[in-house]
Amino acid sequence: MIDILLITLTMSLLYMSIANRLATYLRILVMQGLILFGTTFLTLTDLNTLNLLLIMLETLGFKAIAVPWFMNYIIKKNHITRETEPYLPNFISLLIVTVILVSAIILSSFIEEEFLDKTFFVVAFSTIFSGLYLIVSRKKIITHVIGYIVIENGVFVLSLAVGNEMPMLVNLGIMLDIFATVLILGIFFNKIGDVIKDPDVNLLSNLKDN
Amino acid sequence: MISLIIILLTSLFFMGIVVRTKSIASGRKGPGIFQPMYDIFRLFKKGTVYSKTTSFIFKLAPTAYLASVLMAILMVPHGNSPGLISFNGDFVMFAYTLAFGKFLLIISALDTGSSFEGMGASREALYSMLVEPALFILMGSFALFTGQTSFQGIFSLLHFGSDISYLLGALATAVFVMMAMIENSRMPFDDPKTHLELTMVHEVMILDNSGFDLGLIQYTTHLKFAMYGALIANLFIGQLPLTFSIPLFFVIQVLFAIAVGIIESFRARFRMGHNPQYIFILSSVALLLFFGILLITGKFF
Amino acid sequence: MIVLFLIASILISCGLFINRNEFVRYLLVGLFLVLLWGFAVYECFHLNQTEFGFFKTDSLGLLLLLALCVVALPALFHSFRYLEVHNTDETPHSKGLFFGAMVLLITACSVAYLSNHIAVTWIFVEITTLSASTLIYHHRNIRALEGVWKYVFICAISITFIYVGILFLSLSMKRAGIEDMSFTSLYSNRMKLDPYWLKFSFLFIFTGFTAKLGLVPMYTAGIDAKDKAPAPAGALLSSILMNLGFVGLYRVYAILAQTPYQSWANNIMIISGLLSIFVAAVYMTRITNIKRMFAYSSIEHMGLVVLGLSVGGIGTYAAILHILLHTFVKPALFFQYNQIYWVYQSKSIHDVGSYFKYNKTGAIVILLAFISATAMPPSGLFVSEFMIFQSLFEAHHLPMLLVVLLLLTFVMWGFGSNIFKLLFTPPTTIDETKIPRISPWESLSQYLLLGLSVYMAYNPPTALVQLINDAVGLIQ
Repeated sequence: MIDILLITLTMSLLYMSIANRLATYLRILVMQGLILFGTTFLTLTDLNTLNLLLIMLETLGFKAIAVPWFMNYIIKKNHITRETEPYLPNFISLLIVTVILVSAIILSSFIEEEFLDKTFFVVAFSTIFSGLYLIVSRKKIITHVIGYIVIENGVFVLSLAVGNEMPMLVNLGIMLDIFATVLILGIFFNKIGDVIKDPDVNLLSNLKDN
Repeated sequence: MISLIIILLTSLFFMGIVVRTKSIASGRKGPGIFQPMYDIFRLFKKGTVYSKTTSFIFKLAPTAYLASVLMAILMVPHGNSPGLISFNGDFVMFAYTLAFGKFLLIISALDTGSSFEGMGASREALYSMLVEPALFILMGSFALFTGQTSFQGIFSLLHFGSDISYLLGALATAVFVMMAMIENSRMPFDDPKTHLELTMVHEVMILDNSGFDLGLIQYTTHLKFAMYGALIANLFIGQLPLTFSIPLFFVIQVLFAIAVGIIESFRARFRMGHNPQYIFILSSVALLLFFGILLITGKFF
Repeated sequence: MIVLFLIASILISCGLFINRNEFVRYLLVGLFLVLLWGFAVYECFHLNQTEFGFFKTDSLGLLLLLALCVVALPALFHSFRYLEVHNTDETPHSKGLFFGAMVLLITACSVAYLSNHIAVTWIFVEITTLSASTLIYHHRNIRALEGVWKYVFICAISITFIYVGILFLSLSMKRAGIEDMSFTSLYSNRMKLDPYWLKFSFLFIFTGFTAKLGLVPMYTAGIDAKDKAPAPAGALLSSILMNLGFVGLYRVYAILAQTPYQSWANNIMIISGLLSIFVAAVYMTRITNIKRMFAYSSIEHMGLVVLGLSVGGIGTYAAILHILLHTFVKPALFFQYNQIYWVYQSKSIHDVGSYFKYNKTGAIVILLAFISATAMPPSGLFVSEFMIFQSLFEAHHLPMLLVVLLLLTFVMWGFGSNIFKLLFTPPTTIDETKIPRISPWESLSQYLLLGLSVYMAYNPPTALVQLINDAVGLIQ
């Protein structure tokens, strides 16, 4: 069942690469949060109940509910247009994400490690690099933040792989999530809307070395 | 032999169910189940008009198209009993026979000398090219799963045990359905009803065909649908005895036709420029399927 | 004691956040400085003791803590002066925010120097990102917003990288069956760790720490940060925050030291160091913003430090000495920058000139700081840079040494042409009546810092040498 959920997570990445609207991105983030919620429940069986409950609450509450809702609020408040504005056509994005997926599979086959379930590795790598690609290939600042959240989801999957032996690491990962989201979204994006009227990343190139 | 007979039988009513479903979904009663066949018979009785710019290819293509699809059907097995043509690696020949038929249709469209038809032909060629990896990767993954390389061997040994194989079965069904929609140029990739430059893919290729040839081409579409339905049914039949497998086959075909009708009624056509990525995503999903099968068979470590 | 210090400082910074009264602010900052010095002196007497398993006062940490104490004094003093002079759009709220963030930054850095566990270092690096971004956003205009956005984003990605590195480290520990992830246990078990995952983890942790340390590939965060932050905050970002990156890197590198994979780690650090010096050389020759020039000079120094660290031999000693002296020299430049801005009201090199005419003491500071920052004798940095070159020569890395010397020449040229324009050439347009008179006492702290760096280099007290040798012993 875990493998099914993880494969669905990877499929959501493929869909994300061809999506045209910001609303689709947010829906995919919600779906990824729910998938991670289910995966946490099924993987971390060795943890004590309180810790497990906390982690599951965080995945559900934060990743699936709070963050997408907050981003929706920001999009509405700053009147951000609905298009995702990629630099490359969507077809090439799909090709690149497929190539990332295949390379993640090939890379993982080189790892000889009995302690680790390799699916976690493949899914984590492909999610992290797809998130990185999303950041690089889109113009809008809000898609940068969405790409960062996708990277965080990938890192969370990776932490689940070792989570049973070291629950502290999963907690650290959640802290990373909360910190980065609060910092990036909560404090600054609110302000960006007030100061910059058009959330286009081209405006962030004023700081040059001239 | 059995598969040929039941596929031919299915082709008689398949399109009728699709049209009926679409009508009911729009609130109408709709024509009878065999109405599309009556339309084809009517076309058979008409005379054909050949343009002066065309050559023998234009006359040859529809017949060759029908012949190629029929030969492809000969290779489709039904559960345990193989098709009339069955050898190791026959699914490759299957794909290439279909491609041969499509190639002839494409060059016959170019033969008419109309740039309009050429445009349709190029779009059709692109979409077939993008969906072909999906078929090969899918069949390849199943071959990896079962260890066999012929259609009959693969489908007879295919069984679903663990959880993940159910997911893969569902994914494979979805990919096959979408492949059928693409190959037959149905919604949401192409609208068979509109005849506008912005929206046509397959219809524009056959604009100049008339009479008997048009009837042949339309019947071939029915056959192709029945063929893909047979492939999907094979995923579920496995090793069942004939008394169970034949009714199951028909049930699956009817369900497939209803599904096609529902998809056509409720999805709008994709923007033409976005079609390539929606088609290619099938190949990516097929890759994921391949990875999943690697996981199951334990060949990944 | 560490926990006490942490709690007290957090309380003080909360107090500074909410306080509006000027006098109370002076009081709280003074209290914090007393607390800081008390903490540092306490740790002097508790060398090499572990607290709670998470904190350990080893020699490198203590050294950098003392350097932080020395720099924190003028930093806070100049912050007060800066906010007084820049009084146009300062509200008590923004002043409180500024000082609260400064105190938080200093606290996080000082506690992180003494951490014995990589996760603790990681948490405090996050806290420094938070406080540094508050400092950068102090002016609340669009350029500051741009700088803080870039800084936060790149630091968030680097933090994620460090986290992934920690995950891989735990994997390599799982193979060996070790549970405790503190540095002491890692050092004692370094040969048992699984090499494959250890190398991966070092790669990721190194990449993550380059954002704080100011190396390729993540140095871009620091440049914008130091450019946009007010100069006293920029001074702290340039000195103690880079030291934090160095401490993190040093401790993780020490896990790999004396294992067969040390040469692999050395190669990575050499590549990064060389590229950093190259980047600094390229930008220094065409830069017009004075503050950014100082920031790129920091990058160049960090590149040299990492080169020295990776080459080994006397290079490790030189790297630690270099980073210590850099902590004194770079803030001097930043503190003096405030006065430059007061005189010319502009950051660009085109609008400045004839600084000797308008601010003699300040101009002499600039001259001395230029000599120090480019490591010409008799500055303190000359000693450590010379030792780094010596170590490169002894390790038979001659082509690399030549490349580094060539690049440093470019850096010196870029730095020099800008500084000489500032000092000696007349400015293009300037209204002489608008220039404020700057008291020479403003430059006192910078003279003291520069003098300290010279003293530490040429006549180091034996305690200092002993501490550095202890720190080197961790690796060799």
